[in-house]
Amino acid sequence: MRSIRQGAAVLALLAAGCSQRPAEERALKDLRVGQVDANGVSFTVEDGLAVVRKVEPGTLTLWGSAPAFHVRAVSSAGASEEWTVVVRNAMPDAELSALVGGEPLLVEALPEGPLPTVKTWKVRVPAGAEARLTVAPPLWDQPAPFRFAALADVQEAMPRVGDIYRRINADPTLRFIFFSGDLTQRGSVEELEEFQSRLLESRIPLFATLGNHEIITLHPRYHEYFGRGNLHYTFQGVHFTMIDSGNGSLDPRAEEMLDGWLAAGREAVHLLGTHIPIVDPIGVRNGAFASRNEAAALLAKLANGKLDLTLYGHVHSYYSFSNAGIPSFISGGGGAIPEQFDGVGRHFLAVEVDPAQGVRTVSLVRVD
Amino acid sequence: MMVRLWVLALVVLALVVLPGAVQAQVCEAQAVAEVPAQALPVRGEPMAGDQEVPTRPRFEVLPAAVSVVPGLLLHGMGSLVAGDTRTAGRHFLLQGSGLGLLVAGGIPIAMSGASRRVIGPLYAMTLTGVGILSISTLANLYGAVSPAFPPGQVARHLPPLELEAGYQHVVDPAFDYRHFVSVGALARLNRVRLEAGVRLSPDEGNLRVRVGGAYRLLGAPEGSRGRQDGTALDLEAAALAHRYPAEVFTLAGGELFLRGRYDMARFSPRMAGSFAEMGVGFAMQSYIYTGPVDDILFEQLLFSFGYGVYLGRGGPFRGEAMLYYDHRKDDFPGGIKAGGGVPGFVGLRGRMLLSGPWGVAAELQAGSAVVGRVSLIYALGGEP
Repeated sequence: MRSIRQGAAVLALLAAGCSQRPAEERALKDLRVGQVDANGVSFTVEDGLAVVRKVEPGTLTLWGSAPAFHVRAVSSAGASEEWTVVVRNAMPDAELSALVGGEPLLVEALPEGPLPTVKTWKVRVPAGAEARLTVAPPLWDQPAPFRFAALADVQEAMPRVGDIYRRINADPTLRFIFFSGDLTQRGSVEELEEFQSRLLESRIPLFATLGNHEIITLHPRYHEYFGRGNLHYTFQGVHFTMIDSGNGSLDPRAEEMLDGWLAAGREAVHLLGTHIPIVDPIGVRNGAFASRNEAAALLAKLANGKLDLTLYGHVHSYYSFSNAGIPSFISGGGGAIPEQFDGVGRHFLAVEVDPAQGVRTVSLVRVD
Repeated sequence: MMVRLWVLALVVLALVVLPGAVQAQVCEAQAVAEVPAQALPVRGEPMAGDQEVPTRPRFEVLPAAVSVVPGLLLHGMGSLVAGDTRTAGRHFLLQGSGLGLLVAGGIPIAMSGASRRVIGPLYAMTLTGVGILSISTLANLYGAVSPAFPPGQVARHLPPLELEAGYQHVVDPAFDYRHFVSVGALARLNRVRLEAGVRLSPDEGNLRVRVGGAYRLLGAPEGSRGRQDGTALDLEAAALAHRYPAEVFTLAGGELFLRGRYDMARFSPRMAGSFAEMGVGFAMQSYIYTGPVDDILFEQLLFSFGYGVYLGRGGPFRGEAMLYYDHRKDDFPGGIKAGGGVPGFVGLRGRMLLSGPWGVAAELQAGSAVVGRVSLIYALGGEP
């Protein structure tokens, strides 16, 4: 039965590949991430930067997809007012603030549990009011240098990914993990659950886009767990964009979003992550976009948008190169079958970025 | 250099797997004579026409049905049921060779993590396997139905110069362009073939120009085949420039390609009128952007295979049609959006001279984009 399901999944993938817009449905799913109505309150995570994981009477549980995000809560008359907000995959120093008509609401931080990335607050959203909640670490919107880790391609190596998290935990300056796809081998619910549970070993959150392995399964559930494939956020003056290249292409809907994000980040330091490299420096392999001309058009757009860095996964090795003049790194060191004869092995990148100067350093950190 | 030698060796290997390919210059009559008479069911009628064609098997429903089920899984079953054990054996050999090459190339790719050190030859080997398997599949189907109709014949003489003009339609979600004017020229000078093609989108200004040539290493020149069959080996070279003014970049590059064609009548009289093609090559290209200049010269593995049929039977109507796979990612169709950027595109093309100097060509390609093209051909000289 399992082999039949796998065969059907492969056929579905091939059929999707023959479609000209196989990622369109996922781009539409992106637009629905972070929305829920519960107990008379309509919650909307702005820009879909968190997933609604669970709603119970008086409790909203979110999975953060960015270091900082806002939630609009529109409460109807007679709606529940007391809400417990649980945010998983949050920045360890994240705080919740809430405003109604410019006036702050009283927020109570509940005692922290053993996991630094799970935060819980209580807030009272007055019935009939519209509140804006912000989940973010202090000074998240103030330009300042910081470091983060870039990782991709864990796939079948989930049982060993704890080694990587321990290595990341050993560097207290890394603020979050920027993950460029292929969390799992097939994108099944069991694997998504396992990835999530093993992520508990990390002291910092992981913000991801999906890879081609997340869409091998017949009914991909990635969005329900980790959120949007195409997303954009800012942190300490730096713009981060992730795009869904799971099919070796960018859907036109996602490209429209990208246009807006490039315009927003044009005058700032702007980094882009995606799973499948737009171009592969090893051309005969072409572990890259399916159409080189689409890739070139996208790169021309990124260069015109004054992008500062592209980070890719998919190829299980480390490459440093330039595409359309934009510094670029492939870092697929999460543990999936490594590229042989390259002397690299499991690794991640430590990226130091300064909103005033740009990308300062990108360092290869070996795990094995 | 080592990689290119490997690639060349694999093409030769693929051609050798097809029995008799190294004898490409042997005339068709001789080739037909090489097929042992006892391998042929002698139940059919001899073909009409002035070209010498062996006795062909009669169409039978059961072998045709068996060629589909279970023949699509085990090629040659239809021939076996029809009593043509020699063709069946060659099918088994062909399918087995394809599977073997696919496994021999595919497993090391997976185990090596598609290592940059070995990926070129391994992809070429894997694609050779896929190509042979595909050719075997199509030959198996063709062999099942071909007894139902008289086969086409390779054109004995093609014009020294063909000019064409047409229309190309492209549906690509990544680009706004749709309509293209397509013009081209093809000259045949004994063993040398020169080609040029231009695609221009008047609305977008998108312009693709490709000029190239080929030298026939083995096989009769297209312009004067006489009684020789279409089996041939060509070395091709081309230069390409593709300007994208709306997206503000230009692609420029050059390529070398070794293309082999094998007349399938050599494989079995059941396959008379059909041919298989396979080729491998290498392209170097650069994408040129305004402002920042990219510092990488990109390489590309070129590989194609296909199965086709000859159209016409010795009269003025002559041409061919072919279903094919092309591994390149830099043409209008791009690659299929599955498989992490690895697959190329599939296509179906036909080119035929109809009457007098006039002919038509048509092509349909599907990858990241769908491309359709129809052209009117004007031929100078080369009457049959």
